[in-house]
Amino acid sequence: MTLETNQGNLGGAPSLFTEDATGLRSEEMILNMGPQHPSTHGVLRLVLTLDGETVMQCTPIMGYLHRGMEKTFENRPYMAGPRYIDNADYLSPMINEVCYAGAVEQIMGVEPPPRAQYIRVIVQELERIASHLVAVGTYGLDLGAFTPVLWAFRDREVILDLFESLSGHRFTHNYMRVGGVLYDLPKGWIQQCEDWATRFIDKNLPELEGLLTGNEIFVSRTRGVGYIDPQQALAYALTGPMSRASGVAFDVRVDRPYGAYREIAVRPQVQTGGDCFARYRVRMDEMKESVRLIREALDNLPSGPISARSPIALRPPRGETYFAVETGRGEESLYMISDGSEYPYRAKLRAPSFVNLAILPELLRGTKIGDVIAILGSIDIVLGDVDR
Amino acid sequence: MSADVIQTIIHFIVTFLFSLLFLMGAATILSYLDRKVQAYAQDRYGPLHYGPAGLAQPLLDVGKLLLKEDLRASATDNPLFWLAPMIFFAPVITAFVVLPFSPYLTGAALATGVIFYVALSSIDVIGVFMAGWGANNKYALIGGLRSAAQMISYELPLVLALVGAVMLTSITAPACSGAQPDLNTCGVGSISFSNIVNAQLNPPWLWFVLIQPLGLLIYYICGLAETNRSPFDLPEAESELVAGYLTEFSGLRWALFFLGEYGNMCIVSAVATAVFLGGWSGPGATEGFWVGLLGGFFGQVVFNAIAAFWFIAKMSLFLFAFLMVRVTLPRLRADQLMRFAWLGLIPLTLFNILLTGALLLIPVDTSLKLIIAGVANWLLLFIFIFGFRRLTGVAKKSEQARQGVPAIPGVERLPAKEAKQLTGAGAP
Repeated sequence: MTLETNQGNLGGAPSLFTEDATGLRSEEMILNMGPQHPSTHGVLRLVLTLDGETVMQCTPIMGYLHRGMEKTFENRPYMAGPRYIDNADYLSPMINEVCYAGAVEQIMGVEPPPRAQYIRVIVQELERIASHLVAVGTYGLDLGAFTPVLWAFRDREVILDLFESLSGHRFTHNYMRVGGVLYDLPKGWIQQCEDWATRFIDKNLPELEGLLTGNEIFVSRTRGVGYIDPQQALAYALTGPMSRASGVAFDVRVDRPYGAYREIAVRPQVQTGGDCFARYRVRMDEMKESVRLIREALDNLPSGPISARSPIALRPPRGETYFAVETGRGEESLYMISDGSEYPYRAKLRAPSFVNLAILPELLRGTKIGDVIAILGSIDIVLGDVDR
Repeated sequence: MSADVIQTIIHFIVTFLFSLLFLMGAATILSYLDRKVQAYAQDRYGPLHYGPAGLAQPLLDVGKLLLKEDLRASATDNPLFWLAPMIFFAPVITAFVVLPFSPYLTGAALATGVIFYVALSSIDVIGVFMAGWGANNKYALIGGLRSAAQMISYELPLVLALVGAVMLTSITAPACSGAQPDLNTCGVGSISFSNIVNAQLNPPWLWFVLIQPLGLLIYYICGLAETNRSPFDLPEAESELVAGYLTEFSGLRWALFFLGEYGNMCIVSAVATAVFLGGWSGPGATEGFWVGLLGGFFGQVVFNAIAAFWFIAKMSLFLFAFLMVRVTLPRLRADQLMRFAWLGLIPLTLFNILLTGALLLIPVDTSLKLIIAGVANWLLLFIFIFGFRRLTGVAKKSEQARQGVPAIPGVERLPAKEAKQLTGAGAP
């Protein structure tokens, strides 16, 4: 058998010719999965080197959705920031806004009033559920089950409706302000939210879970696939469900609590399986935990103002800050430097999707094409977050 | 021209028109029902706007497909690309010849019915493979290869599942009844669909599904795989392979594949009905009664209409199951698919055949033989269902830890127990 290398291929990945005893020459196939592909969850491009159906090598190529978000922050006043950060992780805009507002508040030394902090917790947990519903639903879609995504979206629609009545927008809400939130809860909102929570936890979530967790094919497609051991999770700085599924019990809400999470205790959901199934289970459990947190926050919702007094033109003092929140994907944080002007001097966003994606080539080596999709789906990336 | 020839010609025209209209109509209605059933299962409405309850949607779809530009990439392998849809579709129409909708509405009651059907259904894979290769697209190629492997693997248990039912026709054959059958003349059943249906009519509720439920289940599973339907739709797995071998096809060519797929579903359901569900038998489908009541011609018409009604009704059950399976189940992985066929289905069908064959040697009555066969088969069925988890190869926890975890440079791996303590896993 002779081996020779042909470097003239796509993506710079070397391709190997192998020749057997009879002189039959076979070559590894290079497959460009993406940027337009039904299940790359956006515009991710994976250059796969295939031997039959087995993946020999994978090179993720990112940047198709790069919008220069961090540079945009530097050129917009602090007031405008929440609007722009909405689009970073477009499945959890509310949590992004909390990240931005929290970072600026930390530089300025402003503490939002308790009611604003509780409202923030409620919308963050709602957003986490909405984000996890998309993750779980599209994961079913990745594995060939059409129904879960539509069942998941029934509840997500209600959450988006709740956000609409709260902020005026279904998506990019622009609801957080430095020092508080923009509007108070509308009349009847609490009742609607509680009704939804009851329906979700009693009926819709068990239905969704029955369709996936109890399904032999789903389990056999996910269990033992894409195994990450705890060391790996730490070495790759994985956060969110990715690390918690590998037994690393790290959750920003618990380990570095912010806002009202200092008063409402969060139970981190941990699994030790480390595989795609464990990651799915973590997301399912977190949704239940989020409903509990929402109920607790609604029950203890303090009265009072919804925003601290802050000047119209925000000029934070000189200094730098690092503020982290827990999104549905892991630790999202903003490192911000202020030079005393109306604009941030520098803003760096730590995007959990981007960091979590780094382990993908490691996980894909030696798997089948079907598993590529299963593993990629279980990482739950949002390309707006990866490319920023 | 003699009366016989005229009758043959009329029979040909009637059955030909019936089959063709049935195929076209069924594909159209199925594509509508596919959406509606899926929509029902998924809490949404489905087609709604064209015609009452969206009924005109499939017709408009047909119009759209006919009018669509015939797109073709420049580097396709032309002969293969052109021929593939036809080679895929031709066996589908042909197979309708042997389906026994009713005693009269059978294109040709071939003595080799089952073999004919099996032979035709295995031609499909050539069309799919040609489509995959000819399109000159990597996704299509992988899809074509997958489907070749899949269809060949599932062809075997499909045939073997039918063999079990065919053997039952020999057990129930007159020569084999009694405690001491003459083994020289007995054991000659029939592989003609009409005879298989007739064998289930005496007594009229003796459907083979009662005696061979396992055969039906295996046949149906293989039918799902043969028609590339979920959960075996790997060749056209849209989340992995875009559209598999269909990626480069559009317009009329795509429509032929589409029609062929729905036609295949109909055929699989029809064969399952004929072999396991007693074909056209049902309340009211009694020839003697209607002929006595209405006379020769009209009696035959009414009888055949009722028989065809029962046949299509039973078929619809299977078709409905096709649609419901699609909305319920995710897709298997290629290696799980293969393991399931070769390690699960084939040994099981072989065992079933062995069991059914051994019945001939047991010196008891025919009815007792059938009861023994039924009990054994139902037992096997439950064992099969509960053994499913093992067959799809769920990895054990210890295997997970070993599998595919490359060392990270600079990070020493700890044993699992210490790692757990280190990371605080399982903390409340």
